[in-house]
Amino acid sequence: MTEKIAKFPGVYLRESDFRDKKVLFNEWNPNAQYAWDAGVAIGRYLAELKEGRLVGVQCNKCRRTVIPPRNFCEWCFRPMDDWVHLPDIGTVNTFSLCYVTWDMQYLTDPEIPAVIDIDGTSPAVGIMHKLGEVDPQAVRIGMRVQAVWKPPEEREGSILDIKYFKPLEG
Amino acid sequence: MAILEKVDKLHRATAWRGDIPITSRYTAGIAGEKFFREIKDNARIMGTYCENCELIYVPAAMFCERCFAELDEWVEVDTRGTVFTYTVLFRDLDDRPLDPPAILAYVKLDGSTGGLVHYLGEIDPEEVCIGLEVEAVFKDAPEREGSILDIEYFRPVEA
Repeated sequence: MTEKIAKFPGVYLRESDFRDKKVLFNEWNPNAQYAWDAGVAIGRYLAELKEGRLVGVQCNKCRRTVIPPRNFCEWCFRPMDDWVHLPDIGTVNTFSLCYVTWDMQYLTDPEIPAVIDIDGTSPAVGIMHKLGEVDPQAVRIGMRVQAVWKPPEEREGSILDIKYFKPLEG
Repeated sequence: MAILEKVDKLHRATAWRGDIPITSRYTAGIAGEKFFREIKDNARIMGTYCENCELIYVPAAMFCERCFAELDEWVEVDTRGTVFTYTVLFRDLDDRPLDPPAILAYVKLDGSTGGLVHYLGEIDPEEVCIGLEVEAVFKDAPEREGSILDIEYFRPVEA
């Protein structure tokens, strides 16, 4: 509360008051469907993910290869020059051990979001994903990792067609 | 320059589809709660009385809109009233044809300064007129759930 107000007027309601119908209320679920236009660059990125491939783009003037693909180089503002297929192998640039989900549920086994520099891309270019099949305490910056893909029939053209990245063997 | 492709056919456009889960709950408030409980439990329409302004608010309000006094004097108002204004609807909210058409009216309730927006029933649209005397038709007690739709509609008072 505030300095001047010890208790706000009104009636405090709990979830159980709604569940037990102690209070009269209307419930409404708005239809909030949306379609986000992926565009040419991300559109192809998602289509290639469905095929189990990573694709980036390169700018010949800046000698830069980036992933995810974009139409324009944000350094020189020219259209990108070419598509480049990239390996699904990379290096952990940074990571976090996350013991709370997005909706504030506690996790015993942490999720490990990480920025992964894909092999063949320029410095300071990475994609965000999760790490798996790894002891959280063993994750290190610089660790070599490889994508674990969903089986082809389950892929739907989403970044989640990669289940997670796991440490590269050997 | 492969990357300067354009999406020239609509079916080639890729879109990321999703659904934002939103649930909204609207509670009637302190006065509204009591107003709807009376409809549900006793099939009565209640208003609140402002002594100062000599107004009876329907639906019941907690405060007088004119003098801002807190209102705690509850009075029962008649379930009869007169059609103040009305409209005939031939399409629903999703633009589907309504057959038969629905009649929406603002009914000023006898013995109050307020009224309710509600449906008219048991009458043809051609017969409705401003000033028509109508009465509330309540659902049977077990079916009432504390909503304005516990009143099914208003119908003309038999002469």
